[in-house]
Amino acid sequence: MIKLDNIGVTFGSFEALKDINIHVKEGEFFTFLGPSGCGKTTTLRTITGFITPSCGRVSVRGVDITNTPIEKRNIGMVFQSYALFPTMSVYENIAFGLKVQKVGKDEIRERVNTMAEKVDLSQEQLQKKVSQLSGGQQQRVAIARALVTSPEIICLDEPLSNLDAKLRVQLRNELKDLQKRFGITTVYVTHDQEEALTLSDRIAVFNKGVIEQIGRPDEIYNHSATEFVCNFIGDINRLSPEFLTASGADKVSGIDLHKHSYIRLERMHVNDAVAGDAMTIQAEVESYEYYGLYIKYTLKVREQIIKVIEKNSGKPLYGTGETVTLSFNPADIMQYKG
Amino acid sequence: MHMKTKKLSITPQTVCNILILVFFFWFVMACLIMPNINTIWSVFVQEGEFTLEPLQKLLGSERAMKSLKNSFILAPSLALTVGFVGISLVLITEYFDIKGASILRLGYMTTLIYGGIILVSGYKFIYGNNGFLTNIFAGIIPSFPTDWFQGYWAVLFVMTFACTSNHMIFLRNAMRAVDFQTVEAAQNMGAGPGKILLKVVLPVLTPSLLAVTILTFITGLSATSAPLLVGGRDFQTITPMILSFSKNVGSRDLAALLALFLGIATIILLVVMMQIEKRGHYMSVSKVKTTIVKQKIRNPVLNVLAHGYAYILFLIYVVPVVLIILFSFTDSATIASRKLSISSFTLKNYEAVFSKATAYKPFLVSIVYSALSAFAVAVLVLAACRIIQKRKDKISTALEYSLLIPWLLPTTLIAIGLITTYNTPRFWMFNKVLTGTTIIMFLGYMIIKIPFTLRMTKAAFFALDDSLEDAARNLGAKPLYTFFRVLLPVVLPTVLAIFALNFNGLLGDYDMSVFMYHPLMQPLGVYIKSLTDSQTNADNSALTFVYAVLMMIISGIVLYLVYGRGENKVKGNNK
Repeated sequence: MIKLDNIGVTFGSFEALKDINIHVKEGEFFTFLGPSGCGKTTTLRTITGFITPSCGRVSVRGVDITNTPIEKRNIGMVFQSYALFPTMSVYENIAFGLKVQKVGKDEIRERVNTMAEKVDLSQEQLQKKVSQLSGGQQQRVAIARALVTSPEIICLDEPLSNLDAKLRVQLRNELKDLQKRFGITTVYVTHDQEEALTLSDRIAVFNKGVIEQIGRPDEIYNHSATEFVCNFIGDINRLSPEFLTASGADKVSGIDLHKHSYIRLERMHVNDAVAGDAMTIQAEVESYEYYGLYIKYTLKVREQIIKVIEKNSGKPLYGTGETVTLSFNPADIMQYKG
Repeated sequence: MHMKTKKLSITPQTVCNILILVFFFWFVMACLIMPNINTIWSVFVQEGEFTLEPLQKLLGSERAMKSLKNSFILAPSLALTVGFVGISLVLITEYFDIKGASILRLGYMTTLIYGGIILVSGYKFIYGNNGFLTNIFAGIIPSFPTDWFQGYWAVLFVMTFACTSNHMIFLRNAMRAVDFQTVEAAQNMGAGPGKILLKVVLPVLTPSLLAVTILTFITGLSATSAPLLVGGRDFQTITPMILSFSKNVGSRDLAALLALFLGIATIILLVVMMQIEKRGHYMSVSKVKTTIVKQKIRNPVLNVLAHGYAYILFLIYVVPVVLIILFSFTDSATIASRKLSISSFTLKNYEAVFSKATAYKPFLVSIVYSALSAFAVAVLVLAACRIIQKRKDKISTALEYSLLIPWLLPTTLIAIGLITTYNTPRFWMFNKVLTGTTIIMFLGYMIIKIPFTLRMTKAAFFALDDSLEDAARNLGAKPLYTFFRVLLPVVLPTVLAIFALNFNGLLGDYDMSVFMYHPLMQPLGVYIKSLTDSQTNADNSALTFVYAVLMMIISGIVLYLVYGRGENKVKGNNK
């Protein structure tokens, strides 16, 4: 549905985006993920029209919109700060786009009320000033305002970043639910990997103005295409050649000691029943953090520090200084050229 | 942010933008640059040739040199006395536990609603020849010199108490921003009250204190009303001298040269102030900042002395205001004798002001001029701020700096520039003569209020969340619709507050008005000065008092609307 072909954006001599190619499918929840300054918001603003690319083409359903004015793109947007108009009521905020389109008063009322109902905003809340609403309610107003004009696409620029952790998780679920209900093609920007993994159908991981990988959340997590993606998504252990040799993993076909090797924390186990292909090595418990749902061990293997996440099965904890057996499947090792 | 070079297309909006830029170019050249260039030109180029004759004339003029000397005596001494009193006021109202602090604060803030020519005439009524207190002193001591309140000390006294408004706004804000946990930390480490005040609290106030001290110094240099009314023959400063020289065609070059001199001194001082501002304020690094808790003065003797000092200051501030209000309700005989009695109270003075055209016309003239100028400057600066915010290029930078020019120049220099430049037909003013017309004072009022309006409005614009505009555009709104429906309503409270403050400031203006008023449209400040000059006439004094009371009411309402309601707050320096 949305196609970005060879998009490049430069600010003066700074190349903010280099050769960006993305194809977002109809009804998809597509996330741009990456650290600050990686180009994800620039790409989003290129789609919405706030930035005109220096090269490349933006198209929606095959129609080139690269130079189409913002207001004619029919793309809704939810801003990081929500950008709700502070002098207007909730109703006026939601109705703004319809008024601009010169829709009749009765129709505006009907559409605003329908939309408010869909996003769980009461009639009483519609009459309030936006400053009188909670963070979660403000987010719903921003979404309602973006959707009420029936756009083909909705773009969300880090809409959860200003909220506290608990509300963020709650609204994340609501957001996914709303997207499913409306079935609207959604482009979402975030630097929060957990948010990206839980919400998205597909993710594009950005780094320094280029896309490192596009894929489903499980692909990105389990089969990170680049060393950057592997490091950026989730916690990971980097395994030294000495560790690989001592554990016998260097004998496994496909493991190259000259490459950088990584393994996810939950793919290693402490004193676990060893399966057929698993490698083992002795380790000493340095410390542990008890999270209730799981325990995070910090182990010392020769001179290397390894972190392991163990599901809390109710077994007694291993204390500092205790010797344990660390096991892992060499197939879980991800390797990248150094 | 648009990356591609777009084809140049002429749309109605492009034409509109070009016209606005052309207007601003004309305004900057005609009103801000050319008059000042002309002032320099008129001093150093006479009959087409460069000359230093005015400088020689100035050096040879005893009166001019004396006025320069007087200004340079007044400015530093005023900086010291105002600094001392100003810090005292802030400590009394915000730091020490002084009983009745909120009443004292109201008293100390009276200068916010009552200043300039009206304040000086009030002080003159009390301390001047045949003044209320002078008569009391003369009754007690028969040999008491009734003309005692005149010259350097009288000017210094009046101005010391008239110029603490900046302290009551800016220094007080700085004091309220002191993190009380730093005081508690010092106490915890064993520091005594004196050490805490000197080493912990006052250093935090230093940047604000330096800034207000420089502003006081500039005020001292360009003092007008106080030396005019209570300076006497022996203590005239630069601005009254400029006024005197400018009335005579033969000495206009001297007036211009003195104004230039004042301008250069002001620029130097403001550059120093900007350097101080650049060093920045001490920001609290505390994550859980706590507000200051009033400190008890534990030594009983010091405590009594502090309370006594606080209430003497209170009386100095409040007595003129109270007497002006009381005498505004008395008949002329009472005003002449300065003796109050129940039977002398009347509403006749107010009736006279509201019924006689000669009495209410100056008030009306000032209201109309102030309102029109404040409105015009608000519109002009709104347009300028939009250009500055949107363009962010060399043109917008040049526009911004040009509009700040009046901030660097004393009112007197701006006035002299305008009246000497537009007393003949000039290209920049479409060959129209402005001097002597009703327009020139409107222009002058506007010009002096541009820098403050720009600083405050720009701050409001730049505080706007950029995504508001993006959101409106994303929802299909055009730039003009976005400006009027989304952005303007957000900045409107600030704009209205600035309008109100500007209106307030212009209502009793004397410094600019005296140079440019139309003889048939005498504004209030000038009218009050003429009444005060002949204060032997009690009817005139009565009128002055009524004007003063009316202006206090208007200023009080405006300040309440701007600062008092907890919203629409404007912080800054209203020069």
